Amino acid sequence: MPGRQLTSEEYARLAGSDALIETEWAPCRAACPVHADVRAYLDLIARGRFREALDVIREVLPFPGACGRICHHPCEQECRRNDVDQPAAIRDLKRFVAERDYPEGQKFEKPLQERDKVAVVGAGPSGLTAALDLARLGYRPTVFDRGEAGGGLLRTAVPAYRLPRKVLAADVDAIVAQGVELRLNVEVGGAFQLDDLRSQGFKAVVIAVGLSKSRGLPIPGADAAGVELALPFLAAADSAGPGLAGKSVVVIGGGNVAVDVARTAVRLGAGRVQMACLENEKEQPAWSWERHEAAEEGVATLHRLGPKQVLVRDGRVAGAEFKAVTEVFDGNGRFNPKYDENRLTTLDCDVVVFAIGQEADLALVKGTDVKADERGRLVFDRSTSRTSAADVFACGEVVTGPGSAVEAVASGHRAARAVHQFLSGLPIDLGESLPPKIDKLAPATAQRLVKAARAEMPAVPAAERKANFGQFELGLSEAAAMKEARRCMSCASGPFVLTDKCAACLTCRRVCPFEIPEVKEIADISSALCQGCGICAAECPANAIVMAGYGPDAVRKSVDAALASLDPKGLRLVIFTCGHHAPAARWGGSDPARPAVSAKEVFLPSMSRLSAADIMYAFEAGAGGVIVLECESGTCRYPTVELRLRKRYEQARQLLIEAGVAPERLALHVGAADNQEAAFAAIALMAERVTRRAQGWAPRGQAAKPQTAEEKSK
Amino acid sequence: MIVAERKPLEEIRRNLAGRKKVLVLGCGGCVTVCLTGGERQADMLASQLRTAAKVAGEPVEVTVRTPTRQCDREFIDTLKADVEAADAVVSLACGVGVQLMAEVYETKPVLPAVNTTFMGAHSGPGTWTENCRGCGQCVLAETGGVCPVARCAKSLINGACGGTNKGKCEVSRDIDCAWYLIYKRLKARGDLSFLRAEREPLDWGMSSSGTRRTLVHAEVNDQAHRRGAEGAEGAAERK
Repeated sequence: MPGRQLTSEEYARLAGSDALIETEWAPCRAACPVHADVRAYLDLIARGRFREALDVIREVLPFPGACGRICHHPCEQECRRNDVDQPAAIRDLKRFVAERDYPEGQKFEKPLQERDKVAVVGAGPSGLTAALDLARLGYRPTVFDRGEAGGGLLRTAVPAYRLPRKVLAADVDAIVAQGVELRLNVEVGGAFQLDDLRSQGFKAVVIAVGLSKSRGLPIPGADAAGVELALPFLAAADSAGPGLAGKSVVVIGGGNVAVDVARTAVRLGAGRVQMACLENEKEQPAWSWERHEAAEEGVATLHRLGPKQVLVRDGRVAGAEFKAVTEVFDGNGRFNPKYDENRLTTLDCDVVVFAIGQEADLALVKGTDVKADERGRLVFDRSTSRTSAADVFACGEVVTGPGSAVEAVASGHRAARAVHQFLSGLPIDLGESLPPKIDKLAPATAQRLVKAARAEMPAVPAAERKANFGQFELGLSEAAAMKEARRCMSCASGPFVLTDKCAACLTCRRVCPFEIPEVKEIADISSALCQGCGICAAECPANAIVMAGYGPDAVRKSVDAALASLDPKGLRLVIFTCGHHAPAARWGGSDPARPAVSAKEVFLPSMSRLSAADIMYAFEAGAGGVIVLECESGTCRYPTVELRLRKRYEQARQLLIEAGVAPERLALHVGAADNQEAAFAAIALMAERVTRRAQGWAPRGQAAKPQTAEEKSK
Repeated sequence: MIVAERKPLEEIRRNLAGRKKVLVLGCGGCVTVCLTGGERQADMLASQLRTAAKVAGEPVEVTVRTPTRQCDREFIDTLKADVEAADAVVSLACGVGVQLMAEVYETKPVLPAVNTTFMGAHSGPGTWTENCRGCGQCVLAETGGVCPVARCAKSLINGACGGTNKGKCEVSRDIDCAWYLIYKRLKARGDLSFLRAEREPLDWGMSSSGTRRTLVHAEVNDQAHRRGAEGAEGAAERK
């Protein structure tokens, strides 16, 4: 992928907007069905700005708590860290910010809602998302659901050990707090019909009823006592629980629901739980990590078994008989299982649960102008999210087929857009032109990257967790979450080269720790290869390199803001430090141990971004002293930053001393950025040294060597 | 490429003699490449001037511009408004740019912020080394691509002097003897004939010790075309 270029004029037009950072997407964002800005929220988490991170997530995903636990995280599958070590733990970090208590509370503002009333049928992830989007657009959405709480299948079919009910309830409450009305225990299609919604003044209807019926199999014995269907089984486990003490359970199916059923059976006390599925290990559709967890809990999975009959004794299940599966998918990759009727397997058991798929309950459209096809599926136009009735739309699994929660949310967004266009009298156009995603990491670049182990999610051991429905993944600690967020490589945040300024001097090429820039007529810096450290931007003599994420004026603006926050009469210190590695939360403003000195931090995405000119600017802008706090040696995610920073500091120091700035007004401390005590000591030391001199600007003196944290503690 | 180095701030400020409105002028050409006078270095000089003025309690107003090059009129013509608004111009261009600026903006003090040092090449991280002295009679074809004028302390044209010592120059052990390098290079090429031949001395009148030199490309110079009939096209000549 070629580098990105702009003219100075174009840049001047775009600077300060999101246009630059949105030019290309990181693969995680492209892979996310709702395109959550993963890079942005991981960066905020790394900086200790958790609440803001949650806000970024909530913009597109109203279920941060639920998805923070159960998302199938395609973002992580696509994370470019896969080629370095392991992907960033994006899902776990989402959960971390979603479940945290914020001192400011979870306040939500209700938007001004003066537009039409819209009815949504089904309070699962897709329906609630569509409703929330419409509320944010100023419509008045009402969500009808036959259940006693919102959440849909997330509430009744996802076991509590994976998704505690109160977590889901908090997500739903947040949606309601933003202007969505929820009417529970109402069955649309019963006494209350689709047409009643129209006559009640709802100008559009969104059907989001999901796939709420489990499918059974018409095999002999399927009606015996002890044969259950997955969804009622899971729903019952959630409320009372059938009690399976000592029983032997066979789960028929190999998908994620089957795994949920099997693990639920274990928790209900079953003595033996076996899953029997058509597919072999490679073909089995359930997520590998869930299969692994199930195995840890003692669930046995038997492959290539096709159900033949349920064996019945005295009207009760006594076992299940299977025929061997020779092939599941045909030559075209279509599901078309073939069996060997002569090779039979019998499993003795007391309970059989069918977990072979779900279908929609479309009672609500019977006899209306919303049509279903001969196979019982809604007639639906994917390009408009519309059913056969002009004012009735649909989203979620009822139209997409089985999928994950985040996919349902994405579908809800589309339906809301369609409804909005329809009610605005516009033609419905759901076409999206998304920015291109950046390419994979080149192996040569991956090799140069600093490796960092992924945070392990602390979990209750299998032997303990299998006895109850308690949440078995315990969540990351604050320290672990911040460390994990720092593993994000900030993909696609790299530079633009200003074509009219670049002098092809090769400096970028010479200072890049990854040897990414190619210089032909001018510099060409591949956005796919670039790691976004910004070393080149801070060194370019022509100011011809601008970073997409943190432009050339960003440091200066931060310096101005920092100084403006301090009393202009006294000594004001500006402290440059790495926000990525030494977040404000660690040593910030209100700690009582902080020296009573008028000092303000300027947090940078990495110290690699701090140029000599930036340091000099702080004095020009009125700082009485500048402290550069560097992280501990060897902890930076970018190679060579330590060396570059020291050299820039030395250059700025010489130029400033030449301009008459007293040397004690400048200090570089290594190891202090992520060490509160050392940071506070650095502030106190400078204040003391400066005030020891006469007031105002001190005469020129001998340049002192920058101190390290170690030297100072001696 | 022309290489230059920054003058001490003290000298620049002394030359400014307390002028209150200063235009700092970077150059997008050679001095950008050698990291002495690009837009970034112009910004840093401006920052120094403002800070120094603040320390001294005599605020100045400093603006910064960086044209593509200061050695072409068309580029410096675009600076008119900024130059007129300033009391003085501090130029980070080589002496070529400073002189042209001073010529175009006759009434404005144009002060150099760099010492123009040599024509050279990047020879290591942050390092540039002199390779050419512009003698006007290039002998590199015969000397294996090593210039005895620029690289021999005595600019000798007929072989090493008695001061050569194990490949080093008698001036300093840190300096390679150019003639030793020439010998090695020619030997590597398998042709030492030049060393055996005798050379006429250089015409130093053609070089920097002579008078000011001019180059005319007749094909793009209307005046030269007219003179072309008189047989003076495309030649370097002394005025």
